[in-house]
Amino acid sequence: MLETLELDGKVIVMTGGGRGLGRAMAKALAEAGAKVVIAARTQEQMAQTVSEIRADGGDAIAVRTDVTDSAQVDALVAATVAHYGRLDAMFANAGGGGGVNAEFWEYPDDAFEEVLGINLKSAFYSGRAAAKQFIAQGGGGVIVNTSSGTAMRGNKNFAYPTAKGGVLSLTKSEATMLWGHGIRANVIVPGFVSQGPPRDEQDAAMRKQRGSFVPVGRLGEWWELGPLAVFLASDASRYITGNEFIIDGGGLAGGLGPVGFVPTHEW
Amino acid sequence: MPKAAHFDLTGKKAMVVGVENPAGAAIARAYAEAGADVALCTLEPDAHVVTARKLAKEITAMGRESRVYVMDVTLGRNVQVTTRQIAKELGGLDIVCSAPDRFLAKPIGKITDTELANVFKLNFNSHFFITRTAIGEMEKNEDGGRIVIVTSVLGERGLPNTSAYAAATGATYNLIRSVSQEVARNQIGINGIALGWMDWQSDRIDPADDEAQRATRFPIMKRAGAAEEVGPLAVYLSGTGVGYVTGQIFPVDGGLLQHL
Repeated sequence: MLETLELDGKVIVMTGGGRGLGRAMAKALAEAGAKVVIAARTQEQMAQTVSEIRADGGDAIAVRTDVTDSAQVDALVAATVAHYGRLDAMFANAGGGGGVNAEFWEYPDDAFEEVLGINLKSAFYSGRAAAKQFIAQGGGGVIVNTSSGTAMRGNKNFAYPTAKGGVLSLTKSEATMLWGHGIRANVIVPGFVSQGPPRDEQDAAMRKQRGSFVPVGRLGEWWELGPLAVFLASDASRYITGNEFIIDGGGLAGGLGPVGFVPTHEW
Repeated sequence: MPKAAHFDLTGKKAMVVGVENPAGAAIARAYAEAGADVALCTLEPDAHVVTARKLAKEITAMGRESRVYVMDVTLGRNVQVTTRQIAKELGGLDIVCSAPDRFLAKPIGKITDTELANVFKLNFNSHFFITRTAIGEMEKNEDGGRIVIVTSVLGERGLPNTSAYAAATGATYNLIRSVSQEVARNQIGINGIALGWMDWQSDRIDPADDEAQRATRFPIMKRAGAAEEVGPLAVYLSGTGVGYVTGQIFPVDGGLLQHL
């Protein structure tokens, strides 16, 4: 049954693969046998991920891509097929902050557009380009999007969660629209997860402090996205589509009071 | 053994309760494939014991330890005694999967007090008792443990005639969420697997009922699920890379919950 976890020979694109969770997922996928195409804007960061994968004996290339430009996303898939001959999974993982600090009633159009472009349109472009290729090669294939726990609750910094909420909805619709071609779509929803090892002692102390607000008592670590990425990319999840995979240290299962609030009342 | 990191359960001691549920049996087999020793519990000393013994033999042939127990899950005390015996005989307890499942579908006006009590006993109280006892055992471990509860997507949707069963599975959803908050600091993780329409469920998907057959085409994938499609998720949820996942219920439903 567990042979279904093997990714041997599968070709997987990871957008936002130059750092953080994208890099961690790309490395886990390569370790499970996949050939990975790293897409990001920053050349040095992509090169770092590729060299780390190759150092572990894996197979990876980098394709510089601005995922907010649909032509570049189409070119990314074309470059993947030109190099590896096919595409088996698309991780639409690129995303990030952007926007501005402003009151809601003063929030400017262009800042909102920017956040939607980075986080939501990018996921649409990536899913669309992948689906086109999946269908052209005879169907099958997997889309894995990255949303955010902030999408599930209210937030003062609204633009990012709004875009990530769109990613949740996009995933469900992709699952519904694309199964006719054997394509599955699921979404990873990280809570508070650190992007890599702490930079210095101060950074470590800040993480410890932030981690105290999470039910498990710590922040998640970048590598913890890896096993989930492998599961969702593989045939081990073949009866799962349209679903959310929350990895958040228990945060979203709770949230009715601060961690440490433990009511007691006896009859 | 899977090549992917964090799916290796070598040396882990697992208990699966409710192996008469094909999902439970598949999870036990998957745990063994991943390297764990597995105690198999049937709910009653009936014909299922024979099937469980066959599974135990299969697991032993893989080089793992496996034994069959009968666990009356309707009484907390019985769950505790049998679980302690298992932990003693296996040499510890790292992973517990709770998979009892007994369906009932009748108009609410026809469900008797006794039936309601029994539906809760088998589909909710059982999970409560198993979880309670598992936590007691896992608190003895330096590295905590992982609990996986197998329930149904009915825990989050309504369906005619399932008032009792859907309420029990809904209660199970919130058991998982609540307990996750309570034991998070002890490195004990608890998550659920919510099954959609599965190919063995003739109790709810009657092969002779056209409407029921239409229901199996309701998920995005337009088919019922199979037991072996449940095993790998349970291994993920019991592995070493899942310490930041707790309090969640993951559907294995072919996209059933996405139907508008």
